[in-house]
Amino acid sequence: MGFLVPVTMMLVLGGSLGLVLGFAAQAFHVEVDERLAKVTGMLPGLNCGSCGFTGCAGLAQALVEGKVAKVGACRPCKPDIRAQIADYLNENAPEGAAKVTAD
Amino acid sequence: MNLITLFLSALLINNVVLNQFLGICPFLGVSRNKSSAIGMSFAVMFVILGSSILTYFLYHFVLVPLKLEFMDLITFILVVACFVQFVEMYLKKMLPSLYRSLGIYLPLITTNCVVLYVCLGNISANYNFIEMLVYSIAVPLGFALILIIFSNIRERMENAKIPAPLRGNPAALIIAAMMALAFSGLAGLV
Repeated sequence: MGFLVPVTMMLVLGGSLGLVLGFAAQAFHVEVDERLAKVTGMLPGLNCGSCGFTGCAGLAQALVEGKVAKVGACRPCKPDIRAQIADYLNENAPEGAAKVTAD
Repeated sequence: MNLITLFLSALLINNVVLNQFLGICPFLGVSRNKSSAIGMSFAVMFVILGSSILTYFLYHFVLVPLKLEFMDLITFILVVACFVQFVEMYLKKMLPSLYRSLGIYLPLITTNCVVLYVCLGNISANYNFIEMLVYSIAVPLGFALILIIFSNIRERMENAKIPAPLRGNPAALIIAAMMALAFSGLAGLV
């Protein structure tokens, strides 16, 4: 039964660290645009940096905020996915925002 | 005197980046501009100091009494991963601009081997609490020093005439090699 002590120790340690993180997540909660997570999920997630942003989340933010109007900034993205992202952004855009294109 | 020797040797002579070749990923990744290099340095410094204090107490007050010294690696990586998550949440709330400029490199501090190197090094070298503190401040300071110098060089390299095949990372690696050579001249200091 020598494994019980290490297993219990890991459970207690993992559980207490998880609790701390859970409370921290509530204390440091930030309201984020729901489109941001959706667009980040649709991008390839390679974090290649060829768009000039630090990671896919950076490009997603720029697209959502309208700083980048072309999904084509993402080089590895497949054409049909680009069209999907552009459609999604245009459908959910705020009033009077510029159109996003897929090229 | 012993502490000064420890500090200087960890900072300059056994520099983590140029001598031990640890933490090369953020060294090349976030050195493109000065402000994110400085932000990264502080984030790494905070994570290393915090996680080495936590792991030091974890080792001496939990693992040693339970005779589980062999579990140091697996428990330390758990603590480091949690700590990085915590720093990420904190930065997202308090310093969103820094959070954005660090991008994907912030969660990657977890895999920055310098952090685990310091935590395990503290244990294997049998440091007492004060020595542990000095060591865990000196190592990330060395990392920060090199990262900030390197980001300054890279900002100036933007305007330099570099042959096309060497532009970007190849030139950066050559510069890193030259820096390592220059810093090896400090080996006789202590």
